[in-house]
Amino acid sequence: MAVLEMKQVRKIFGSGHTEVEALKPTDFSSQQGELIAVIGPSGSGKSTFLTIAGGLQTPTSGQVFMNGTDITKLKEKQRSAIRLKEIGFVLQSSNLVPFLNVKQQMRLLDKVKKHNLPSEKLQELYQTLGIHKLLNSFPSDLSGGEKQRVAIAKALYTDPSIILADEPTASLDSDRAFEVMEMLQEITTKSNKTTIVVTHDTRLIDYCDKVYQITDGRLALQTEQAQS
Amino acid sequence: MFLAWNEMKNNKLRFTLIVGVLLLVSYLVFLLSGLANGLEDMNKAAVDKWEAQGVILTEESDVNLPQSSLSLEDYDGEGADEFASLAQISSIATSGDNKSNVALFGIHADEFIMPDITEGETFQNDNEVVADASLKEEGFELGDELQLASTEEKLTIVGFTDNAKFIAAPVLYTDLQTVHKVRYGEAAEMYKEQINAFVIRTDDLSNVDVKEALEVVDTTTFIENLPGYSEQKLTLNFMIYFLFVISAVVLAIFLYVLTIQKISIFGVMKAQGISSKYLANSVIAQTFLLAAAGVVLGFLLTMVTGFFLPDIVPIAFNYLDLLLYGIVLVFVSVLGALFSIQTIVKIDPLKAIGG
Ligand SMILES: Nc1ncnc2c1ncn2[C@@H]1O[C@H](COP(=O)(O)OP(=O)(O)OP(=O)(O)O)[C@@H](O)[C@H]1O
Ligand SMILES: [Mg+2]
Repeated sequence: MAVLEMKQVRKIFGSGHTEVEALKPTDFSSQQGELIAVIGPSGSGKSTFLTIAGGLQTPTSGQVFMNGTDITKLKEKQRSAIRLKEIGFVLQSSNLVPFLNVKQQMRLLDKVKKHNLPSEKLQELYQTLGIHKLLNSFPSDLSGGEKQRVAIAKALYTDPSIILADEPTASLDSDRAFEVMEMLQEITTKSNKTTIVVTHDTRLIDYCDKVYQITDGRLALQTEQAQS
Repeated sequence: MFLAWNEMKNNKLRFTLIVGVLLLVSYLVFLLSGLANGLEDMNKAAVDKWEAQGVILTEESDVNLPQSSLSLEDYDGEGADEFASLAQISSIATSGDNKSNVALFGIHADEFIMPDITEGETFQNDNEVVADASLKEEGFELGDELQLASTEEKLTIVGFTDNAKFIAAPVLYTDLQTVHKVRYGEAAEMYKEQINAFVIRTDDLSNVDVKEALEVVDTTTFIENLPGYSEQKLTLNFMIYFLFVISAVVLAIFLYVLTIQKISIFGVMKAQGISSKYLANSVIAQTFLLAAAGVVLGFLLTMVTGFFLPDIVPIAFNYLDLLLYGIVLVFVSVLGALFSIQTIVKIDPLKAIGG
């Protein structure tokens, strides 16, 4: 079964004169272990696609299935619960809580959700992300790259089935950007996640299994690489 | 609690300020409540001492003791468990350099208005009085001879009792005849049946049967009609209630500003799937902690102040009142927080994460 599946998903903003079809009717599906890139110019509908996939907004029409559940039919409260359980967001800007240190960022998730990664796994994650020495630091003391890595740790800690990343490397220099992509790649394959990365940085697509191009709201599969 | 606590720990200055404001508001509330209490006591302590349920006065007196004039024969105790006669007159007593307003209570020594003697002995002869102990603080002593304004009669303090103030004046207890002499001078004999009221103890005031032109008022009504009593009480209570509103509004504003500043953080947490309920609870918990801290500190400051205030400031704390006011303060503060909750619920996570 597809982890994430979209059927004829369409999003229109405004009406009449100001009507914008941000997403033309789109079919999409992704499987476990896939790292997918969505690229496209500014204003093409990348974020719209990603936020609909993540249940942050509902499409004008069409259905979004997450592990078989149609989330477009759910109320915000239920979608919020699904986001917590199934989705890890990595955002362009930092999504860390400024008054919590790295360890506490994870503990906050313990407060709202049971069954997160066991502590050995978490330590391992810290190691992999290279933030194990920063556990007592607050976001304001971290560099952009470190923040992004903590954000990734946070997204993975709840052990979601889907990781959605919007320009995760935007605030990083090339080396760091490649590192982050490597990490996402490793985690996706190792722990069987579905990861969708939205970016306009075409250098990152080498890490991905599938690349979709989005232009004026139309999503099209561009390349599919042999699974490594 | 986790979020609330860590946020406060990391923004000490900001939250200390909020606690400071609440501290001052609750300090003011507690002091005012103490003052209201103290003033009440000053007015009615002697009445509380009666432990009576009602007072019989003339109808035309309009529940005003000095204006009520009746005769010892007007009531025979029908429907009451116990009753006592009272003649009251206000005056100014002077002894040497000491001078004080006083309320003279003319009573029968064998009736229940007769107070416990804490020092000296009870009055036995005419012109002997048992005085409220507060007169001691003003320099009066046992054996002092008191000169009263507007009469030739001289009174002698033979004993003291405590907590006997009536309309802010210390009470002098004496027999009826002495009061008559003070009031009517030579004509005292003619008016010897004259008193101002009967005080009654009974389980049920409605059983008390009085003659035409007399009325039975319950003690609470009697106290509320003491001159200035209700006005004072109302003014102070109004201030206290207003402070409740102020603390709610101040806290609402503070929290609202803090919430607005945190919209994007809340939005990010909501995007992640953390429920509005959790965030709202966190704000409530935070408000509760801040308010409780402010109120407790305000209480401590009040106690310290009470300790250092000079005795003439009529302040008396009723701890039950303080507890109640403290709870109300915390409660209205939390109400103020509800205003921000609505903002949190409305935050669209989509906007917070940017597109
Ligand atoms: N809430 C909205 N109301 C109206 N129009 C919107 C809204 N959100 C997006 N749009 C429009 O939909 C189109 C797609 O927007 P979207 O944010 O998905 O683009 P994007 O590919 O993420 O761009 P960027 O790379 O700049 O982030 C744009 O034309 C945008 O103006
Ligand atoms: Mg975008």
